[in-house]
Amino acid sequence: MDKLGNILHSLNFFYPEIALTLTFFILLLVDLFFRKSKHLLPVLSLIGYVITGYFSFTTPNASGFLFSTGMANVGLYITDSFAFYFKLIILLSLIYTVLFSILSKEINESTENRGEYYALLASFGLGMFLLTSSTDLITIYLAFEMVSLSSYILAGFTRKVPRSAEASLKYIIFGAVASGVMIYGISILYGLTGTTNIYLINFYLANQNYNTLTLVIAGLMIIGGFGFKISMAPFHFWTPDVYEGAPITITAVLSVASKAAGFAILIRFLKVAFVDYAATNLQASLWAILPGFQWNDILAVLSVLTMTLGNLAALWQNNLKRMLAYSSIAHAGYMLSGFVILDNQGILAILIYFAIYLFMNLGAFFIVMLISDKLGSEDIDDYTGLGYKAPFLTVSLTIFLVSLTGIPPTAGFIAKLYLFAALVNTGWLWLALVGVVNSVISLYYYMRVVKNMFLRESISTYEQKIELGHVLISFSLLIPTLVFGVYFKPLIELAEKSIRIFGF
Amino acid sequence: MITQHIYFAVLFPLIGFLINGLIGYKIKNEKVIGWIGSGFVGLSFLVSLLSFFEVTGLNVAERKIIVPIFQWISIESFNVSFAYLVDPLSLVLALVVTGVGFLIHVYSIGYMQGDKGFWRFFAYLNLFIFMMMNLVLADNFVLMFLGWEGVGLCSYLLIGFWYDRKFNGSTTADAAKKAFIVNRIGDFGFLLGMFLIYKTFGSLNFNEVFTIAEKVPLPEATATLITLLLFLGATGKSAQIPLYVWLPDAMAGPTPVSALIHAATMVTAGVYMVSRASVLFVQSEITMMVIAAIGAATAIFAASMGLVQNDIKKILAYSTISQLGYMFLAAGVGAFTASIFHLMTHAFFKALLFLGAGSVIHALHEEQNIKNMGGLKNHLPVTYKTFLIASLAIAGIPPLSGFFSKDEILWETFAHGHSFLFVIGLITAFMTAFYVFRLFNLTFENKSRYPSHIHPHESPKIMTIPLIILAILSIIGGFVGMPKVFVGESGNFFYNWLKPVYEPSETYLFNVPLYTHSTEIVLMIISVIVALSGIFLARYVYLENIKPIDWLVTKFGKLYNLLFNKYYVDKVYDLLFVEPIVKGSERILWKFSDVKLVDGFINSVGEFFIEIGGLIRKIQTGVTQFYALIMIFGIILIIFMLLI
Repeated sequence: MDKLGNILHSLNFFYPEIALTLTFFILLLVDLFFRKSKHLLPVLSLIGYVITGYFSFTTPNASGFLFSTGMANVGLYITDSFAFYFKLIILLSLIYTVLFSILSKEINESTENRGEYYALLASFGLGMFLLTSSTDLITIYLAFEMVSLSSYILAGFTRKVPRSAEASLKYIIFGAVASGVMIYGISILYGLTGTTNIYLINFYLANQNYNTLTLVIAGLMIIGGFGFKISMAPFHFWTPDVYEGAPITITAVLSVASKAAGFAILIRFLKVAFVDYAATNLQASLWAILPGFQWNDILAVLSVLTMTLGNLAALWQNNLKRMLAYSSIAHAGYMLSGFVILDNQGILAILIYFAIYLFMNLGAFFIVMLISDKLGSEDIDDYTGLGYKAPFLTVSLTIFLVSLTGIPPTAGFIAKLYLFAALVNTGWLWLALVGVVNSVISLYYYMRVVKNMFLRESISTYEQKIELGHVLISFSLLIPTLVFGVYFKPLIELAEKSIRIFGF
Repeated sequence: MITQHIYFAVLFPLIGFLINGLIGYKIKNEKVIGWIGSGFVGLSFLVSLLSFFEVTGLNVAERKIIVPIFQWISIESFNVSFAYLVDPLSLVLALVVTGVGFLIHVYSIGYMQGDKGFWRFFAYLNLFIFMMMNLVLADNFVLMFLGWEGVGLCSYLLIGFWYDRKFNGSTTADAAKKAFIVNRIGDFGFLLGMFLIYKTFGSLNFNEVFTIAEKVPLPEATATLITLLLFLGATGKSAQIPLYVWLPDAMAGPTPVSALIHAATMVTAGVYMVSRASVLFVQSEITMMVIAAIGAATAIFAASMGLVQNDIKKILAYSTISQLGYMFLAAGVGAFTASIFHLMTHAFFKALLFLGAGSVIHALHEEQNIKNMGGLKNHLPVTYKTFLIASLAIAGIPPLSGFFSKDEILWETFAHGHSFLFVIGLITAFMTAFYVFRLFNLTFENKSRYPSHIHPHESPKIMTIPLIILAILSIIGGFVGMPKVFVGESGNFFYNWLKPVYEPSETYLFNVPLYTHSTEIVLMIISVIVALSGIFLARYVYLENIKPIDWLVTKFGKLYNLLFNKYYVDKVYDLLFVEPIVKGSERILWKFSDVKLVDGFINSVGEFFIEIGGLIRKIQTGVTQFYALIMIFGIILIIFMLLI
């Protein structure tokens, strides 16, 4: 097949990404001509995402690489069920972000840039879509930067608020360092193997001698770049500052979608490039890794570090957004532990965890947004006694926080159950214990909020009128959080279908 | 086929619960709330009834339909599905639960009128029906346990429904707690039994477990252990010795609750469970003996306590315990059909007795002491007549329903060679007739003894119509199970209906010694004479001549006190279990191990983590360059660690 024919053929599998690209352009153009209309942009965004979703479902998995460079039949892009699962999560969180944005006071008050806001959200989404499916270090890097650049601007979107501007700048600086480290790692890896395609890298590493030290340095640097996206310690430092400063809708999407994309590419890169497939029995779910680079041991340590740092620092936070930022770091730590066991069970657990995390975390952010819009504060002390003034919101928040802690009958328990069960089954008992201890620590700061809301006398003059939109969105997040806690089979089945990464 | 959609029968009460529970407090009109609650139970009854007719039309072999809803838990080899089992046994229970339940719901519209928790009451009641339907329709032990615990929860909520009222010197909340805690002991047994079943059979599905149990006899020890544990669960829920103590206190709840939950339905769950798992029970001769003995002992013991109580609902509570004892006696001698038959007729007349008592209490402004009643015959004509019917039914006067079911139990007991237990059953029958007519006479006959400013009048139609329907059922309910001696093998509809359910267990039952029909008829006549003499004695003592009772009380003062104080069982339990546990938990568990050991440890652990968190927090300086530096150092550090 000639190159043009290959590209045209590949486009057949590229509809979701094309739809996102078009959404991005249309939003930019509409913003030029219809500045006045308030709801046009979010509605168009939603339509765009729904169409993207439709194409994601209807586009079949490609049986080979897309955009093949012709050499050894390897290409830049792949559409497999693994990527599809993460795309669903990304798309869902984008849709929720748009819905949140419609209701957010913060976003609506800064009307002048709303066009860019929604357009950048679309390009952010496009970047994440590309990231989940890329199989070449160059496309990975490009997609990575696309995600980063969009999110830098989005984080500073309410630029007149000082803390938002500061967040954006910090994010850029830290992101630039991370990106620099990563591209450096990529260039070393290229020097070592002579290719940027992760499948070919694996092939060379499996069949040729190489300098272990060089490989370790290169691999670590690339992991560092991804670690930045999923806020893995010690690359997590930007997270609390940025999460606190950014508009809460962006914080929500950063904590779920961007993390999902980061996880997707981290798993894909390491599982494709650094696993010894000659020694791996494909029938059993366990994999062997290439000698010389014990990346799973490193990740085990980093995952412990991540969850512990996140949880311990969260104990001290008085700002709810900042507390949720630390909690999201801790959750990344839990999920990461599922990857280090080198077993498909772990991947399954991560996928399940992510879907549940999507609902409970977005839910928590949504309620915090609604309350802080009215209250004008995210300070936990200002939540005192709110339970009696805003029963619906506070009970919902309690459910989300209980789920984040991982207490039955909420979905968060199922997420942790599958994760820790996978750890125990594969003999990583100590890691499971660390995870459980960490969950217990997290109980303290989550329940502190609940205690403040319900067990103390009210001091604020908070008044709240619940709108239908609030209730509907809350319920759409509450129901999965509760139902998946009792009836989780469909979710498990979907995740089971999605654990296979193309080719392996 | 409607049977395939039996889940509607379960779902309807849930809908009612959700409507009343979520927005009930906003509905200002009580009628609307009440009819939402009753209506959904009525629909549920309708679905059960249609399924019943449909199943009647099937061949006997096909009368076992499993309706899967969804796979509930699936972890490796442990599979539990959310599925309902429709068979003759579960249909009988479903009909009783929804039918009697519906009538009691309607009655409650009148009874609970003006109560500030009106919507809450109906929400709980619907939740109860939902849970109870899960219990009786479950096709596996886990789902059954879900219902089992669910009805326990509802029972707890409803006993303590008037949480702000006093009851027996303490509060209704204490009564609710007592019920809950005593039930926990039984539930513990049930759970252990379930674990053992899973360990033995590798499944908790009724069909799988019972099919294996039917084909491969269990080792005697395993069978005994499993069934004794399950029976412990049954003694908790069905208020048998030694766990019966919660039921009299459960009368703290509103009267319709006592009628529905603590007489007609929930308390029979234990009987149902024994019947459901009959193929396991019959494999252990020891357990069967234990069940029969406990049943008979509970029957006579509770009836004797009922002789001297003065609280109208307490008498009925002891009577319920005693009647449940009969049911277990029947199950213990292997007459499962008779036990379910009595379960059904008892649901009719005992619900009627409670609702009638409710009507009386209502008319006398919450008066429950029968010594302060009397002469209500003319003021409450409908209540009087229906109560009389129920009293005759429970006393066992032919041809009312109670006669047939009780006589079946007594006959089966005798026919299986347990003549001693038969005598106990007979004495209990005498006591039953006596205490129920003591209650009846003191309440309705003679002159009035309540304060003169009270002018009792009959309850509204919404309350009396359920009474009338239940009275009709109490009269004719027994005809479905006429003794074989009169109508022949094929004429006993109830027996033939349930036959396929018990066929697997029949292979294990030792042969029934044959007695002639004339023996059965003689025994029947004896039991009628016994019942009549009980009635006439009560009539003599409490109606025509009230004096002898004072003489009796003084003459047998000690016995009277013993009975009146319920054999001091509550006190003994307090002394043996409650006190040591309370004291021990206060001194050892709370003040020492909790406050000093656990709290001390937890607090220092907590402080430790918070301190560390405080240190970690300091790294987050807010200076971006510093963050970048740590990141680079982190990478370098890891590289070094890997190289070393």
